[in-house]
Amino acid sequence: MRVSFVSQSSQCQEMAGVGFQRWVRTLSKGKISGISGLLPACRSASGVSKDMLPGKYNIRVEDYKPIADNGEGYGDYPQLPDRSQQDRDPAYQWDHPDLRRNWNEPMHWDFDMFIRNRVDTSPTVVPWSTMCKQLFGFVGFMLFMFYLGDKFPAYQPVGPKQFPYNNLHLERGGSPDVEPEEVKNYEI
Amino acid sequence: MADYREAPLATRPKTLDPNEYFNLSPDYRRAEAERAALRAGLKRQYQLQLNNPHRKELIEDPALNRWVYARANPYNHFKATKKTSLLGALFGVAPLFILYYVFKTDRVRSFNWMCAGLWVC
Repeated sequence: MRVSFVSQSSQCQEMAGVGFQRWVRTLSKGKISGISGLLPACRSASGVSKDMLPGKYNIRVEDYKPIADNGEGYGDYPQLPDRSQQDRDPAYQWDHPDLRRNWNEPMHWDFDMFIRNRVDTSPTVVPWSTMCKQLFGFVGFMLFMFYLGDKFPAYQPVGPKQFPYNNLHLERGGSPDVEPEEVKNYEI
Repeated sequence: MADYREAPLATRPKTLDPNEYFNLSPDYRRAEAERAALRAGLKRQYQLQLNNPHRKELIEDPALNRWVYARANPYNHFKATKKTSLLGALFGVAPLFILYYVFKTDRVRSFNWMCAGLWVC
């Protein structure tokens, strides 16, 4: 059945767009009318027979696994592997090289999260546990040392500051007539 | 190739997957052949449209249309389960009351401080 899938398309090339012929094929198999035959739909209401899945989502019947139905609005959209686009082969000739995706390939639900500018699931140089240990170890050590430095300060001994001119008698508002008491801040 | 180690920051290529040269069961090989046939069919369709000299319009991508439709219409398949109700209450209802309480208390306290002359900016 899948071998003939390729040869049938060669017979009706003059039709407007390849999508049209596949739409016709999908409608002829199922009972759904109109454009909703090709769009994602409810699990129970769509009446998706297993034959329609290659026409609708372009994945094998055995590979199709819907996203867990917990009322969060996924419908019958398939669950694809959670790998980012950065994880895909850079040497293969993709139809869209910047997105590393082929035309009409089923898109992950979180495709806009997995583009190469964003979330990346490729392997790291060191394991996750090593990275966590190194980062939190360093930050924890620095925090601990700063805490100790705060608890046990170490600086040169200082005394109160000494001012000239009789402890700045005039600057502090003392009147020029009054003789200030002699202040000796030194010892010889 | 049995001692191949992955390059850092890259996954193992499909052609060097051990399943490709150790797992020779007919079921696995048939599955791989079917997937390759699907991929080849899509590639062929795209190339025919791309290199068609009479084409004047954009090549529309049905997978993209399906993805956009699916992402834009989640409420058609929404069901009020325990999890979805909890999330809705946590992110939609609780912030209203919490923020109202926080802002009101803060405003009232700073107003009282200002009246009593205690407000230091």
